[in-house]
Amino acid sequence: MSMLHVEKMTKQFGGLRAIDALDLTIDKGQILGLIGPNGAGKSTAFNCIAGSFAPTSGQITFEGKRINGYKPWNLCKMGLARTFQIVKPFASKNVLYNVTVASFVTTGSRKIAEDKALAVLESLNFADKKDILAGNLTIADRKRLEIAKALATEPKLLLLDEVMAGLRPNEVDEMVEIFKALRDRGITIFVIEHIMRAIMALSDRVVVIQFGKKIAEGTPQEIANNEAVIKAYLGEDYVAAGN
Amino acid sequence: MKHQHINKIMLAGLLVIAFALPLVIRSATYLHILVLLFFYAYLTTSWNIVGGFAGVLPLGHAAFVGIGAYTSTILSLQYGVSPWLGMLVGGVLATIVGVIISLPTLKMRGAYFALATIAFAEGIRVMVENIDYIGPLKLNGPRGLQIPPLETGLASFMFASKEPYYYIILIMLLAVMLLTYLISRAKLGYYLMAGGEEPEAAMALGINVARAKLIAMAISSFLTALAGTFYAQFSLYIHPKSIISLDMSFEIAFIALIGGRGSIVGPLLGALLLRPVGDFCRIYFGDTLPGLHLVIFGLVLIFVMLYQPRGIQEPISRAYQALLNRLIPQPSLGR
Repeated sequence: MSMLHVEKMTKQFGGLRAIDALDLTIDKGQILGLIGPNGAGKSTAFNCIAGSFAPTSGQITFEGKRINGYKPWNLCKMGLARTFQIVKPFASKNVLYNVTVASFVTTGSRKIAEDKALAVLESLNFADKKDILAGNLTIADRKRLEIAKALATEPKLLLLDEVMAGLRPNEVDEMVEIFKALRDRGITIFVIEHIMRAIMALSDRVVVIQFGKKIAEGTPQEIANNEAVIKAYLGEDYVAAGN
Repeated sequence: MKHQHINKIMLAGLLVIAFALPLVIRSATYLHILVLLFFYAYLTTSWNIVGGFAGVLPLGHAAFVGIGAYTSTILSLQYGVSPWLGMLVGGVLATIVGVIISLPTLKMRGAYFALATIAFAEGIRVMVENIDYIGPLKLNGPRGLQIPPLETGLASFMFASKEPYYYIILIMLLAVMLLTYLISRAKLGYYLMAGGEEPEAAMALGINVARAKLIAMAISSFLTALAGTFYAQFSLYIHPKSIISLDMSFEIAFIALIGGRGSIVGPLLGALLLRPVGDFCRIYFGDTLPGLHLVIFGLVLIFVMLYQPRGIQEPISRAYQALLNRLIPQPSLGR
């Protein structure tokens, strides 16, 4: 059974159709990459799936259940977690507090929530920074904190919105390893990313969208050689020059 | 000796001083000032549950004080109900009103929510000023209600001297401070902080932000109304201008912002700083410069917001911690 199935999803903002009849399927345990030029509608697609916006039309099914219009907090409790492209730490609190907020979703006890938060931080090699204020973290650590918070909610499906943007190459490699380890633990991952090296190394399949429409789908290799994709990123001239 | 132990000893010492103060201070005037100081510290601590933890700025809490005061007073004057029972009834009534008001207004952001709560509280005041009777219940419009001091004693919540009032409000204050401490360490406290600071991120982490804020508002309006009954029994005379005034709502917010919003001791520190300033201004400049204390509050607020946006509790607790570290160095500093 597919973990997430999106059928003919459309999101209209006034006269702008940000997502146009998008179809997507992610199987359990898979990593699906979503790429596209700036403004293609990637984050809007995430926002619709994670419940921030209700889609104008179409079907979103999570583990066989229709979730159109579900609220973000209910989706989170069902096992769908997401990170934000623009990181949103609780800046006045330390790292442990930030992650504990997230791990409270499954328990009412602060002791249990804190222990779980610590375990998540350990698994991300982040426990040594647990007492640092989130507002004082470097950008790389803020991205890591976003992931830690999402993981602390014990998700089945993780939506990652550009968590590697702004990282140094060695940090990107570390992140790729972390995500592979998460996938091996049974978490399904849906990732938006601009860093091609990461998306190529990580994804089982890649979907490319432009102007809200899907223009290609396939393995990373197929996508890299797809004419429509090259055209979307670089324009007509480059396709001609390449030929 | 560990810092934790010293903190506990300091806390115990402060408690002893607070309970022993009426033995030293015999002047009724000073006790009166202290009672009102604790009364405002109590109100601000209750306000802090929603205004501090949940990160919104309600400016109409005087309405809940009024609901508490009028409910218990009417019940006791007309039906002979004990003010202690009336206190709880007022609390429940204020909770219901608070929830009904919050359902639409808590969706508003920032200043809009503050304006909506001002409008609501002023609306209640104008209504009470213009209504003599609600059915059989006598509100007596702008003239207010007088509580005849018939029998004194704990059962009737009426006393001839100030000391019993001092102890009652002190215990109420300590209880509500303990409650906010417990909330800040519980799931609700985490959820309020998260929802106040980054609502979108909080929602994505499984938090129903609107519901958490509503719970905070319910607790806060209940506790605030209890203080209303206390005020009615303390002054034995309530009228809309004294008990549902915008001044009171603003003073609560002043104290919270200057003391430190969202911290446990901030409201008490703010009241300790501002109330004496206000009282002595009124005593010495009341007829020559009325309203001087509000000018001073405004100036203090500007300076605090510029240099200590998290209130005076921050430099004070930092200085205390530094002093501890200087006097008794610890092998590991902990948190």
